[in-house]
Amino acid sequence: MKALILDGSKKEDNAFNTIIDNITNFLKERNIQVETINLGGLDISSCQGCFDCWIKTPGICIIDDIGRIITMKMVQNDLLILLTPITFGGYSSELKKALDRMIPNILPFYTKIGGEIHHSPRYDKYPIIIGIGLLTSPDQESEAIFSTLVERNSINFYSEKYSSVVIYSNDSLESIHEKMAKVLVEASE
Amino acid sequence: MNMPERILLLVGSPKGSQSTSNALGEYLLKRLEGRGFESEKIYVYDTLKSDRNGASLLQSVDSADGLILTFPLYVDNLPSQVIAVLELIYEHRSVQKEPRKQKILSISNSGFPEASQSETAHAICKKFASETKMEWIGGLALGSGGAIGGMNLDEAGRMVGNVRKALELTANAIAENKPLPDDALHLMKKPLVPPQIFTWFGDTAWKKVAKENGVQDKLYDRPYQIEEDS
Repeated sequence: MKALILDGSKKEDNAFNTIIDNITNFLKERNIQVETINLGGLDISSCQGCFDCWIKTPGICIIDDIGRIITMKMVQNDLLILLTPITFGGYSSELKKALDRMIPNILPFYTKIGGEIHHSPRYDKYPIIIGIGLLTSPDQESEAIFSTLVERNSINFYSEKYSSVVIYSNDSLESIHEKMAKVLVEASE
Repeated sequence: MNMPERILLLVGSPKGSQSTSNALGEYLLKRLEGRGFESEKIYVYDTLKSDRNGASLLQSVDSADGLILTFPLYVDNLPSQVIAVLELIYEHRSVQKEPRKQKILSISNSGFPEASQSETAHAICKKFASETKMEWIGGLALGSGGAIGGMNLDEAGRMVGNVRKALELTANAIAENKPLPDDALHLMKKPLVPPQIFTWFGDTAWKKVAKENGVQDKLYDRPYQIEEDS
């Protein structure tokens, strides 16, 4: 199994560095081939909302930067891990910058899913999504928004399976491993 | 004599002045100016291009009595640069001893007919307000925003009648310092056109433009497909 971790923490976010290492090691120990991209260190252009990736260069963003490569990797992995400091309940701007660039991976045309209108899939297979939110302490409202956001993304990303978990900065190594094991089981069920 | 209240409009679309986010915000701003408010408008994407730390934007936030944040829904959420601005405002206010308790209103438009798809984005705006000690007065959610296509709402005809009414009611509520009325929320949520027509028109328009670009046979291309081993 191949996993892509999009790490949306900021470069100066030292509080979470050890946690991120622990998560990566946990996955590697389970024979999951992991590639981690630290988005905070990259100059990724923002999506321009031009839709040229649908009607000029179908499936490929017109901006030729690392954001385009990340979009390719998103659809070529079995597992997509969205790792972020929970920011007002949602993702950090660093993670969101990469996610905004993913629309070439779906089609412009509309379809109905669960009674709602969405864009149709471009590919037959999309990765499982796991959202890992980092918080300094428990926050019910933030955690509820985060869980809903990951669920909503799984609909638009055509992930058949998804799950999310929140890790606190003072979680022990044992607790992180327990949470990771649980979220992996949930996402594979 | 009381000083007029100052409203700051943050337009959170990369399309800036050509965007539906601008059209919605501009219409509301004009109604507020008609009721004696002073106003300022900032295009978030343009501003962050020239001022990555947002110093001038933060100054404008400090001097405003109320904020209006308009944005298109991107991947169930606020666009990345809008989140970046919220992060900057949060950091800026977290070191202020007593930040002003400004009011903030969020207005979204999405490419899907269902306005309800923006609920998570507005929940994020509400959480931002609470963490930055602002007062969130509500979130207006519009579906099928693409049908407006950045048009001036005064010139967009009957299609946007409910949108104009919703924004009028919102302007009244802000001017009278009252809560956002449910009518404004409901009117904004009403589909601009029947969903079946919106999707048919959208699908047809994508194909037409692709044909003009000479890529009508490539629309379903899968450039990143990995062929499975046989």
